Parts: sequence; structure tokens; C-alpha cells
Amino acid sequence: MVEIGVKIAPVAVSAADLKLGSGPVEGTGVRLSHAETKARYSLRARDAAVLDGVLGRKLPAKIGDTADGIACLGPDEWYALLPEGTTLPKGEGLPVSVVDVSSRALGFVLEGPGALAVLSSGCPLDLAKLAVGRATRTVFETVEIVVWREAEDRWHVEVWRSFAIWLWHAFLAAMHSSGGHAAK
Amino acid sequence: MSGFRLADGGRVDRRTKRSFTFDGKAQWGYAGDSLASALLAQGQMLFGRSFKYHRPRGILGAGVEEPNALVTVDRGPGRVTPNLRAPSVPIYDGLHATSQNRFPSLKTDLLAVNNVFSAFFPAGFYNKTFMWPRGAWEKVYEPIIRRLAGLGDSPKTRDPDHYDATYAHCETLIVGAGPAGVAAALDAAAGGGRVILIDEQEEIGGGALSDPAQWGWLAEASAKLAAAGNVTVLSRTTAIGHYHQNFVVAAERLTDHLSLAEAEGPREKLWRIRAGEVVLAMGAIERPLVFEGNDVPGVMLASAARTFALRYGVAVGRKLVVMAVHDSGWRDALALQEAGVNIAAIVDLRRDIDPALAEAARAARIGCYTGYAVTKVTGRQAVTGVKIALDGVAKEQSLECDAVLMAGGWTPTVHLWSHAKGTLRWDEAWGAYLPDKSHENLRCVGACAVAWDFGSGLAIGALPAAKPLHESKAFVDFQNDVKARDIGLAVQEGFRSIEHIKRYTTNGMATDQGKTSNLNGLQIASDVLAKPVTEIGLTTFRPPYTPQSFGAMLGHHKEALFQPLRKTGIDDWAERKGAVYENVAQWRRARYFPLIGEDMDAAVARECLGVRSAVGIFDASTLGKIEVVGPDAAEFLNRMYTNPWKSLEPGRCRYGLLLGEHGFIIDDGVSARLAPDRFHLTTTTGGAARVLGMMEDYLQTEWSDLDVWLTSTTEQWAVIALQGPKAREVIAPLMEGIDLSAEAFPHMAVREGHICGVETRLFRVSFTGELGFEVNVPAQHGRMVWEAIWAEGQKHGVVPYGTETMHVLRAEKGFIIVGQDTDGTVTPDDAGLGWAVGKKKPDFVGKRSLARPDIVATGRKQLVGLLTDDPQAVLEEGAQIVADPNQPVPMTMIGHVTSSYHSATLGRSIAMALVAGGRDRMGETLHVPMPGGVISAKVVAPMFYDAEGSRLNG
Amino acid sequence: MLLIHCPYCEEARPEVEFVYGGEAHIARPLDPSTYSDAEWEEFLYIRSNPRGRHHERWRHTHGCGRFFNAVRDTVTDVFETTYKAGEPRK
Ligand SMILES: [Zn+2]
Repeated sequence: MVEIGVKIAPVAVSAADLKLGSGPVEGTGVRLSHAETKARYSLRARDAAVLDGVLGRKLPAKIGDTADGIACLGPDEWYALLPEGTTLPKGEGLPVSVVDVSSRALGFVLEGPGALAVLSSGCPLDLAKLAVGRATRTVFETVEIVVWREAEDRWHVEVWRSFAIWLWHAFLAAMHSSGGHAAK
Repeated sequence: MSGFRLADGGRVDRRTKRSFTFDGKAQWGYAGDSLASALLAQGQMLFGRSFKYHRPRGILGAGVEEPNALVTVDRGPGRVTPNLRAPSVPIYDGLHATSQNRFPSLKTDLLAVNNVFSAFFPAGFYNKTFMWPRGAWEKVYEPIIRRLAGLGDSPKTRDPDHYDATYAHCETLIVGAGPAGVAAALDAAAGGGRVILIDEQEEIGGGALSDPAQWGWLAEASAKLAAAGNVTVLSRTTAIGHYHQNFVVAAERLTDHLSLAEAEGPREKLWRIRAGEVVLAMGAIERPLVFEGNDVPGVMLASAARTFALRYGVAVGRKLVVMAVHDSGWRDALALQEAGVNIAAIVDLRRDIDPALAEAARAARIGCYTGYAVTKVTGRQAVTGVKIALDGVAKEQSLECDAVLMAGGWTPTVHLWSHAKGTLRWDEAWGAYLPDKSHENLRCVGACAVAWDFGSGLAIGALPAAKPLHESKAFVDFQNDVKARDIGLAVQEGFRSIEHIKRYTTNGMATDQGKTSNLNGLQIASDVLAKPVTEIGLTTFRPPYTPQSFGAMLGHHKEALFQPLRKTGIDDWAERKGAVYENVAQWRRARYFPLIGEDMDAAVARECLGVRSAVGIFDASTLGKIEVVGPDAAEFLNRMYTNPWKSLEPGRCRYGLLLGEHGFIIDDGVSARLAPDRFHLTTTTGGAARVLGMMEDYLQTEWSDLDVWLTSTTEQWAVIALQGPKAREVIAPLMEGIDLSAEAFPHMAVREGHICGVETRLFRVSFTGELGFEVNVPAQHGRMVWEAIWAEGQKHGVVPYGTETMHVLRAEKGFIIVGQDTDGTVTPDDAGLGWAVGKKKPDFVGKRSLARPDIVATGRKQLVGLLTDDPQAVLEEGAQIVADPNQPVPMTMIGHVTSSYHSATLGRSIAMALVAGGRDRMGETLHVPMPGGVISAKVVAPMFYDAEGSRLNG
Repeated sequence: MLLIHCPYCEEARPEVEFVYGGEAHIARPLDPSTYSDAEWEEFLYIRSNPRGRHHERWRHTHGCGRFFNAVRDTVTDVFETTYKAGEPRK
């Protein structure tokens, strides 16, 4: 466990020197860690019922809703975060798209009363209004992320693999800076 | 009174002394002092030299409107900040501040010679004088002007500080924490929504800080706000600008008020606030008056003198004269007298004064000169007295004093209102523009809402004077050294709109954006033009409200976090092998792998020969990848790409060429059909996001009836390319479930199976002309599989190679790189890729454009190969090509070199070029004029090696 | 930074999640080969560029991913309305 004091750690001058932390890292009221390994799928269909049939489960209908590890990200798009090793049927020949993207992204978890401030340091959404159990694709500064509010003070953040180093360190920078200094 | 510090009063902490330096000299003040108040307390009147004439200048205001007292604060290497306003700089132990615009010292400024010749520096002087000769600008005039005129020095070393940034959201944002702002915050807090209250000063209170009667209320209100769970109070925070839909950007100064030892953490924090409602409570700024000598140190705003006395406990002089045209001047004079500051006289141009004020002044034994105006200030580096005259024109009489206070009325601070595109209305009583209508959820309280009892007064530009305007040294814009007569001159020379007058005279264009000068400038222009103010127009306020550091605007985007540097899972293997990198889009890619003592040419030559003679291993993970899935997948690709896709069998690959609707090549890549309804597309590294976006566009908006979906899989798959005659032997022992034999797995085929126990999509493709495979494995396993292949490859002399070698190998085969050999104006036929266009297809993106007259015209630039006459001469990429090397300049350029390398395989240089009518010039000798001489080269087909393609089969 | 109401997400979202997509309601011809050179030029390059109401496309790239149409005033930058792709011009 790495502890963050109030002093700022020296920032490496070159982005090339940054390494992905293995975590977890504790800041003031916030903890950053890697999420457990997941199976990830991008699911697409014009008619959700066809996909329901292929997967044998009911998908959340409204953009932003989640159910059993699957988030609705768009009118014809769902993102599944399932236990490692889960394989989903592909629905060959049907008007659906099931694509395994398990390796595409990494998951981070920010938790604690200061987690919202760390996310808000670079995400322009009013995340306080994102209800528990909802998820959305958005950005953290210039990097696309998916934010999933798992509990009042627990946020799961998905980021494409090659952006993960930057995001990890951007979170650390915010954790160094924002402890106890966020808007109420 | 010791020095100019009053015996008591003020909010400074008299038990805590702070030491600092000004221009190298030791000084002190109390905790809570500003740099201005601490120095005034020591009797310092001279704070700076003016911008153009280097006239001695003192303090004008007590807040951010201060135009004169600009200082540079030095907090160590890289931490030097120029142009800070002395009244807004809090003092701390160890503060080092210096004055600006003087040489060699503040008291003796040799550049003040400008002042003597000031008649030669009228409005538009620079524009008129330095017009000729043109060449002299750069060498003579500009360096001199830069030396003479400037506001501080820009920093020359890297800023070592960190900056923080955040977004914030609230139902109510209040800008300005004076009495009106604080009251609005308490109101909003009671409503239960999230409230943010920001204020630029060291503590909240605004004008109440200069009014001890309000301190009790302020303390209570502050405590209430601090206790409220829904209120965030940000002092030392400046609202820089208001942008669309109540997006307000503010910068909080976190450490600049602390000594270096106390300063910890980021220096500033950028707040990007989205508010449901914005309440502007920004107060008003007092207007100076325009009269001869109004810039002599010791002439200042009456409200500033009041603030120095009542907030800081400092008298700005021992004997003061007030020049008022507004009741507020009388009120300030009375408050000052009561606080122990000696007011010798109040001079007011008006004859009718509120009897209560007149009576109070008499009772306080202050001399009153109603109907009078100050006509001249005596003294150069400090005030020694004033001349006054009835109506400004009668016989002058002298008053002795060491400070003059100006009370010219008030200008409500409408900057943010104007940023928000709120309209303004002229208010005759205030002599100022006030907020009118806004389409934002934005309202004003306090001064901007005319809910501030100032009393009344005149709105007047310049005081009446016997001296004609063109002889007067009465200043309007102190920071840019603009005099009333400059505005007169601008009008005389034909400028009518205030936007033009402003730019010609530079009135209001300094770092203070005319906070104290705009309205006086307007009034004077109105008088000279004999037109109402409202017909002259009003200049536009733009963010930032006050000068802002670049650091805060960057926030965390600095140094290592400036932008993401994307690395593949194999990147650190390359790093350990000593790879030299190049950046491609946001990715960093290994460019070559030098052995000890090798330069790039040697390393690339060795890597090329290694691939051609044995096998090379290459990290191609950055290739863009898109999974295209659905019953209409083939139909969709058939419409997007130039060539036919419906006939492609599952298990086979095809080279795809993507055009824009304009007919020009924008991307290419090899793609595979994995199943009837599933394709694995590849794109260029830099084109991945753009191609996906373009395909989504067509799919969603033109062909939304197609049942097909696109998923980016760029980062799902690590791609390991094995190229060379031994490629098959290297991967064969590791592969499960795929028959690698030439018969079972031909060139341009794809198979799914396993390698090292993980799933793989194995492509048999070649970007080198050699037998080649691309091993796709889930990215998390990329490193493991790479190392396994590397280990196996040791038996076969495998070499790791980078992008530079990849470029050479493909150029030997004449394969294009989109963006290098094409530039957005190259059609398939231009690039020699006409074979990749499906002639029988009725339509595809860009097809119609291929029949446009310019596209089918002869003489277009076509991609050809070039072989230099001197086989060791390597052409420069981008070099221009001519047919006749003896033609006088300007020569007719017929094309340019797009790719050029030394080929170790061929033992000579090779190049590709776009040349007008290139394919009709085969065998012709063309010329490339370079600084060292003309290089001649023969035009050949862009295929330098193994034209028959026999090596593909290993 | 603008707030843009996404008609699919049914909420206002920050501008940085969106990508601008040029003028709206310029449909690609079903058979471009029937277009004359002049008609094709018009389709490719000629845009209305009005001062005031402008029909334009945006994509909620970093949100729901959908293209949609908007009416924005090019003078004030105020969005009058947004509506789903395929709906008639507003
Ligand atoms: Zn959306």
C-alpha cells in the first residue's frame, strides 16, 4: 500500500517514464486500485429483444441503466463487465453484434468520500447526479472512459489499455491536490 | 501616528510583523497588509514608471483595478511573476518584489527622457513614425521600442510549480463576496442547492472590509457560510470569464500568499464551474478624474484612501485634498477624517451639495470649495500641492497637500455580464453602462443592480480647465499612458467609433482592460465629437477579467501528463532492448534497435538484411482494428471500400483502399473475413479513430437500414509480425490448431487457433515482400507470446525491427504509406492502385468523384520510383523535382520526393515520388536541386525488389 | 464549453463529449452516378453557411455514440433544438 501525504510527488518530466501503478494507493478520503479482472463484451442490436434472446437475459432498456453487470451505453449498445472467463454466444447470422473486448480496457476503482472529487477533477459531467447503479461513457480530460457508479462512494472506471498509464497518474495528481479541497 | 500607520484601526494583525523587500530594500508590514498598504505605511509613494513616458507613478486604487503599481514578485528560479498589482499582493515573510519599467532605478529612470519628448509620442506615433524604411523595423525600431515600452519581463526558465484543476457544479454561483454577494449566498444556501461563492480578495467581504461598522455582520455571515454543508467559499479566486450556459472559469491562488517555507502543494487551481444560476455581485470601481497632473504619485481614488485607512490602518498622506464630483467623495472624506486622516479640503465642481454632507464637512472643520476644480497638481515624484480655480477657468489659487483623492463617480463591474453577451444600457444618473438583458440564467445584485446607495454626482470626462486640451498632461489610461489630448487627436484625425479610437490611442488596451479608463475615454470622445455617449459605442470586454497565469489554464496537463503517451504491451520489452522510439499519433513506437556503436543507418541496414535473409519480429499492435459484425457486414464494406468484398471467402484477407467522397485516398489496410457476418478490419495507426468515425457516420446517417455494427478492437489485440523466409519455422512449434503449410494456409489467408495456449487470429500477410505472418493475440497476453516467439526465433536468427526498417522494406516493394506517399490529393490511379478499384461496382464512397474532369485529366501527379544516378545519394523526402535543372528561378516544379532510403538489400538508394505525368516519363532523367548541388535521378516503376513476388512463398 | 442536449441520452451533456459533423440534411444521393459534375460539386462542397439558424450534425462520440441534428444560432451559439437523425428538418 502506498500512502500519499500532502506533499506533491515529483512529476516525471517525460511521459515515457510513467509506469502503471500496481496499486492500491490511498489519498485523503480516497483509494485508487485496479478492479478485478473481468470479461468484457461490446453488445449491439437494433432490437434489444433479439439480443435478449441470444444472451438469454434481459438487457437494461434505458441509456445509463445497468443490470447484472451490463450497462446500456447507447440506443443500440450495451457494455458487459462479467466475471473473468465468461463467454457469451455470438448469435451468428442474427442481426446482433457480440464482440469480446476483454483485453481492450482496464478497470480502476476509486472509492471513499473523496472519490467524486478525484473524478470531477477531469470529468465535466455532474457526477453527483449520476445515481448509484448507473453508468455512462464520457471523458476524463481528453481520454474516453466509462464511469460506473457502483455505490455511493465507489466508482468503477473503464479505460482503454494504452490510456491507462496516463489516467492512473492523472488520478494520482488529483489525489495529491484535491484532498479536502473540493466543492461541497 | 508612526510613519503613515494610523494609531489604531484596520484589520491587520499588529502583533505579527512580516519582513519583505521592495527593490532590494528591507521593508516590513503587518500580517494582513498588502504590498501597497505596507509600503504606503512606510511613506513610499513612488511605485513604478509609466509604460510609454516613464513618468513616476504611485498607487491609484486599492484593488485589481490598479493600473500603475505593477510589480514583479520573485519566488525563486522559474517563479518570477511580472505585472502583479501591488494592492492585490499580500505580504509574507521573504516576499521579494521589484518595481518595473525603470532603468536603472525607480527614482532615477534614464528612460524618463521619453517624458521630456512626450510631444513626439502622440496617439498613433508608432504607426506613423516607424513606417520607413521597412527593413529598419526588425533591426532598429522594434528592439528600441521593446526596450522602452513594455510591461515587465516574461519568465525565461521552466515553471517548477504544479497546478490543479477541477470541474465543479452548483445550483447557484455567486461572483463577488461583498455585502450583496454574501447576502445572495446566504439566501441561496437556505434554498438547499449547492452554492459556490467566489471572491478575488484575501478574505470575503468586499467593500465591507473598508467599513468597520459592517465587520460584526460580516463575521456572523462568514461563520454561517462556513457551517453550511452546501456552500463552498473560495477566496483568492478570480472569475476569469463567463462562457456559454453559465460555464464560469475561475482561478484560485493557493500558495502565492504564503512564504516559500509554508507553500505546499499546487500553486493555483483552475475551477471550471457549471452553474444553474449565476449571480454577479462584482461591485463597482471608482472613476478617476481627468486633470493636469492626475498621475503624480499621491493622486489616488478616494475609495482607495478609505480602504488603506479603514482596512489596513494606513494614512496615504498627512494632509489630503479631495477632488470630488460625487457625494461618495464627501462620505469618504468624512470617514477618513474620523479615522484620523487629515483632510485639508474638499473641492467639488458642483455648487449644490447635499446639505447634510456640507454640514458634516463644516462640523469636521474641512475646507469646502464648491464650484471649484483642480487645475494642476504640483510636484514630480510626490504631490506638493494643487492649484484650484472656480469652474476650472477662473483665477488659480494654491492649496498645500501631500495627497489628492479623486471621487469621479462609480463604474459598475459588468465584465462577466458582457462575457455572457448580456446587453447593457446607458444610465445617465450613474454616467455608466449597466446590465440590461441576458439570455443566460444570470442576474446582478448590489452595484450592478443599482442596489447600492452611493449618493449622486456628475458624470464627467475631463475637469474643466483654462489650458487647451492639446497642451494638457491629464491622463485617462494610466497603464497605457493615454492622455485626454490623445483622444482629442484621434477624433481630429477622423476616428469616430470608440472601437477605432481605442485601437488608435490604445486606451483601455493594457492589462487592466481599462477598468478605470474606459468610461472617461468615452466621455471625452463624446465631448470632442459633441455626440451623446450612447452614439459612440462601447468596447467589448473579454476574458480574462484580470491577467492569468498560463499554469492554471494548463492544470494537470503539464510535463509527463501533458497528453497521454500510448504504449503497447510490448513497449517495455523494446525499451529494455535499447529501442529508439518515434511518436506516431499518440503512440510511441520502436523505430530501430541499435546495437552498441550503431547509428540509425547501420541498425536499419542490419535489421533489413536480417528480415530478408532470416526473419524479423515487429510490434504492429498500434494498427487500427475494427470488428465489423452483422448480416450486412459484407454489403457495408462493399460500399465503403473501392474493391469488391461480397465475394471474399471466410478465411481470406483483402487489401482495402478507403477514399473520401472527394475521391482521394484517406486510409488503407488488410482486412479479413472471419465468418460470413464477421470481418476483422485493419487501418493505419494514425487513421484508426478517424476511419471508425467516418464509417459510423455512413452507417448511422446514410445506410441506417443495414444490420451491421462496428466495434473498435485496436486495443483488444496485440499484433506481432513475423516477416522473412524463416517466419513459418519460428511460429510453427508454438501454434495449435492451424495448419501452416503453404497449401492449407496461402498468402492473404486468416486462421483462428491458439498460440502458447491463448486464442489467436493468425494472418498470413506481408508488408515486406517476404513470407509473413501477423499473430493477433488478446493484448493482455501480447508480451508473453512475444517473448515465446522471440525465444523460439533464437534458433533462426530472429531480429527485432522497428518502424524505420518497416518503411524501408515496404518501399523496396513499392507499398505506399498513406499520409507519406499520399497527401489528401492522391487518387487510387495516381498512386498506381487502379487495380484496387472495383470497376464493375455501381457505387462506393468516392466513386463518383473519380469521374470528375480534373481527376480523369492527363498530367496528374503519379507515384513513380526514382533511382539516383549516384547510387549512394539519398534524396531528401519532400524535395522538389524539376525537369530542367538549368531553368532560371523560379523553376517549374513537377513533383516531390515522398519516400527515400538507403536500401541495404540493393546496396543503393531508392526513392518514391509524385511526379506530373510520372508513368509517361519512365526512363527519363529528372533533377532535384538541393543546396549542395543538383541530384539527378531516373524515373522507374515503384518496385525495386522481387518484382515477380516469388519470396512471398518463402 | 457548451452544453448540448443529446436527443438519445435525453439530457444535456458537455461539449467535449461531442464532435461537430457539418451541415445537416445533405443526403448522399442514392445513385451518385446520375449526378452531373455541377450537382456533384454542390453535394460535395457547397454549404449554406448562414448567419443565424443553422441546421447541423453533431455526434455524441464520447457518450451514446449517435449522430443527431441540431439547430444552432451561429451568432449567439444558442441551440434552439436537437433531434434524432432521420427526423424531418426542424
Ligand atoms: Zn447521447
